[in-house]
Amino acid sequence: MEKAKISAYQLFILIVLFELGSALLVPIAIEAKQDAWLAILIGMVGGFCLYLVYHGLYSYYPDIPPTEYSQKIMGSFLGKILAFIYVLYFIYLSARVLRDFGEMLITSFYWDTPLFILNTLMALLVIYTVRKGIEVLARTSELLFVLIFLLGISVLFLIVVSGIIQISNLKPVLEEGIKPVLKTTFTQTLYFPFGEVIIFAMILPYLNRPEKVKQIGLLAIGFSGLILASVMAINVSVLDVNNITRSPFPLLSTIQTIEVAGFLERLDVYFILITVIGVFFKMCVFFYASVVGTANLFNVKESARLAFPLGLAILILSITIASNYSEHIKEGLHVITLYLHLPLQVIIPSLLLLIAFIKNKKKKSKHSKNLFPKRKYRLVERDKK
Amino acid sequence: MFSFLKRKNQKNDRKIQEINNQNQSNNRPPNLIESSLSKNLEVIKQKTGNSSDIIIRPLKIGHNSQIKIAILYVKGMVDNQSVQDFVIDSIMNNQNLSEKLIPQEVLEILIEDVVAVGGIKVVSDWEKLLTALMSGETITLIDGISKGVCASTQGGQRRSVQESTTDVSIRGSKEAFNESIETNTAMVRRIINNTDLWVESINIGKITKTEVSIMYINGIAKNEIIEEVRKRLKGIDIDGILESGYIEQLIEDQTNTTFPTIYHSERPDTVAGNLLEGKIAIFVNGTPFVLLVPALFIDFFQSAEDYYERFDIATAIRFLRTVIFFISLVGPAIYIAATTFHQEMIPTELAIIIAAQRESVPFPAFIEALIMEITFEILREAGIRMPKAMGSTISIVGALVIGQAAIQAGIVSPAMVIVVSLTAIASFATPSYAVAISARLVRFIFMVSAATFGFYGIILVFIMLIVHLCSLRSFGVPYMSPLAPFIREEAGDTIFRRPIWAYKKRPRLISGQNRVSQGEDQKPQPPRTRIMKNTTNVEKGEPNES
Repeated sequence: MEKAKISAYQLFILIVLFELGSALLVPIAIEAKQDAWLAILIGMVGGFCLYLVYHGLYSYYPDIPPTEYSQKIMGSFLGKILAFIYVLYFIYLSARVLRDFGEMLITSFYWDTPLFILNTLMALLVIYTVRKGIEVLARTSELLFVLIFLLGISVLFLIVVSGIIQISNLKPVLEEGIKPVLKTTFTQTLYFPFGEVIIFAMILPYLNRPEKVKQIGLLAIGFSGLILASVMAINVSVLDVNNITRSPFPLLSTIQTIEVAGFLERLDVYFILITVIGVFFKMCVFFYASVVGTANLFNVKESARLAFPLGLAILILSITIASNYSEHIKEGLHVITLYLHLPLQVIIPSLLLLIAFIKNKKKKSKHSKNLFPKRKYRLVERDKK
Repeated sequence: MFSFLKRKNQKNDRKIQEINNQNQSNNRPPNLIESSLSKNLEVIKQKTGNSSDIIIRPLKIGHNSQIKIAILYVKGMVDNQSVQDFVIDSIMNNQNLSEKLIPQEVLEILIEDVVAVGGIKVVSDWEKLLTALMSGETITLIDGISKGVCASTQGGQRRSVQESTTDVSIRGSKEAFNESIETNTAMVRRIINNTDLWVESINIGKITKTEVSIMYINGIAKNEIIEEVRKRLKGIDIDGILESGYIEQLIEDQTNTTFPTIYHSERPDTVAGNLLEGKIAIFVNGTPFVLLVPALFIDFFQSAEDYYERFDIATAIRFLRTVIFFISLVGPAIYIAATTFHQEMIPTELAIIIAAQRESVPFPAFIEALIMEITFEILREAGIRMPKAMGSTISIVGALVIGQAAIQAGIVSPAMVIVVSLTAIASFATPSYAVAISARLVRFIFMVSAATFGFYGIILVFIMLIVHLCSLRSFGVPYMSPLAPFIREEAGDTIFRRPIWAYKKRPRLISGQNRVSQGEDQKPQPPRTRIMKNTTNVEKGEPNES
């Protein structure tokens, strides 16, 4: 753990940018067809529940990251194995994001450039940033959030002005009942992007006002969920269901449809800007968590030193995890969710919380019965004063 | 083998000797002035190498002129008038001095009665005496007394207070600092008439012994930052300080960056304004540029005039400056990226025009831009160094020969000339030269990245730039604050400029505990009715009366 503090506002922005990151890029919840936005919103509610689980664990151990408290909960040996699995999981996820991004660039803009080169550039930038530490990352996010926000507003304005939105494309709502929507939610949107918030368990200990963690996290997830849902709704209403299922990058297709006043057209650069910034933050957060997690697990004092070797690993992993884009997407939508996301994002944290709850209850009942374990961080604060 | 050991021993001996010498020099009692005048003069002559600009004027005073004294000063460093009138003349014509006296009495009379200069001190060791002599004071030595009288008669020819040449503004004070540190500190004092304006001086430079002063407002400036400034200044061990740039480079937080983390200004009103925010000014003798710490990135985009204009106009101008800075950074890069990688982005008609222009150009856009940029940098550098009389030659050569001829020769396209000149003008329009020059460097990185990866490259470098800026600190204060970390109550003074009455508090990260800068309800509240009641009697039949 480096000695750093981030503010509540910075955490909010980091979570929002993280959530939007690659979720704006790829078609999410597309199995739910025109009800994709609904699937995202339900996923968001699921995300709230997951965040509460992670927050529950945080409130028991407000000063240490999950790689450390897993050892306190499960015992040293099992806890270390679990922490190691999580670190690997974070590394794998950052490699996935990098691959998503590289494939997008190749398919839409840089047909002749090798994937490796494109990914290398991004990886170098991420390594550079992570070496600077979480405070710098948080400050950068504050500045770039404004840029993304302005871009988003102007894109929305242009879409509305060019009159390509057709609300009728969103109808009929719940054509085949609620079932496909729920299925999409529980096989996809719950984990990607909302469940991935688990990464912030690594970052929460840095927050300077622990009492705000819950509120800020929920707000950020809600905010980003609403944005994602409305972006998806706009995509569907602009492109209609048939086109969107065939489009690898729906937002890009939507932006390409914009035409205002005869000369504002083909604004692909907007899309590059939004996705590069979004993916950059998503990768930074994932990568930072992996670096800090590794450092914490293996007692490396200067975590910045790990940035280069781990970055290299992620770069190579991003090339080798799949032989082509469809394999990559298929893995992402069907294999990963079931075998990685579900256990690591939902089952294990819930179990940990349960064990932590029982353990702390025992401990507390030994000392005094008045202390309510969930409020532990407040007591810690008061002690300091 | 033995010789090796011997050498080693020798080395050790030398080391010990050196250490002893150092100790001696540290513990040695200060080199005291002797009581014999002739010996003293001999020492001075020997120490100054008998320099011809040191004037020694021997005098004899007292009954029968039996007491010898000598007056010493450096030609040109002193104000001749005051040396003549208040030292030499007073001594020679004073009645009290022609009586029967012992040397001790002469000293007392000199100090109390004769020398008619404000700053007077008595020193007894050589180092202080010589430093005083070299800084323009007039020394009086008396035979039989092992002390010297220093009268502050500094003067000589200096540039007068003139209009600023680097921070020009339309509204506001026109005067700028000059090379004399006393004038400079006085100019700020004239603006802030408060006892809490504190000045501390030290001499830096083993050989030049340059006077450096730090100035701050006690109670507003943060104590930790003042302490840090003191510590860093005291840590400087260098031969000479010739300009505040030396100090700047020796005390800045991070050296491997192109961006300045210390602000400098030539205007007393800018310095005063920054002092009021809790910043600390560092004056260096011999330069009109005063350093201000801690400096934030946005400081370099503000000019004193912003605060004199009304807020809406100032905000618009600041917004323009942001755009200007952006253009000066990425102007050519965007052109290169658009013409090389993203032609589809350019509206069709424009794309045809550009393509037609570029038809005869044998270079890729990047090389074309590089040629023009480098040509322009050469022109600019020449324009700065050239004698003023030849200035018009540069503009003719630049505009006609390079602009017109290069296009006609088909080496560059007209569109490129437009882009490059727009970028050049933009970089001149940035208020701070220090940041404009950084942007000039970074622009080339942007151009290379645009030539290799198009917009993707530009965006990556842009993000990297922001990460770099966010990682900088100036005396512990994050460089990009109050934008990042975002501080809501201060963000109104960044690319916006809120109304003066809305500046309720001083910047949190810069000033200390005392943060309230103005009272509540400073917003002007004119009376509702058009005619002011109870003030003047409105004459009947006023033209605007309805």
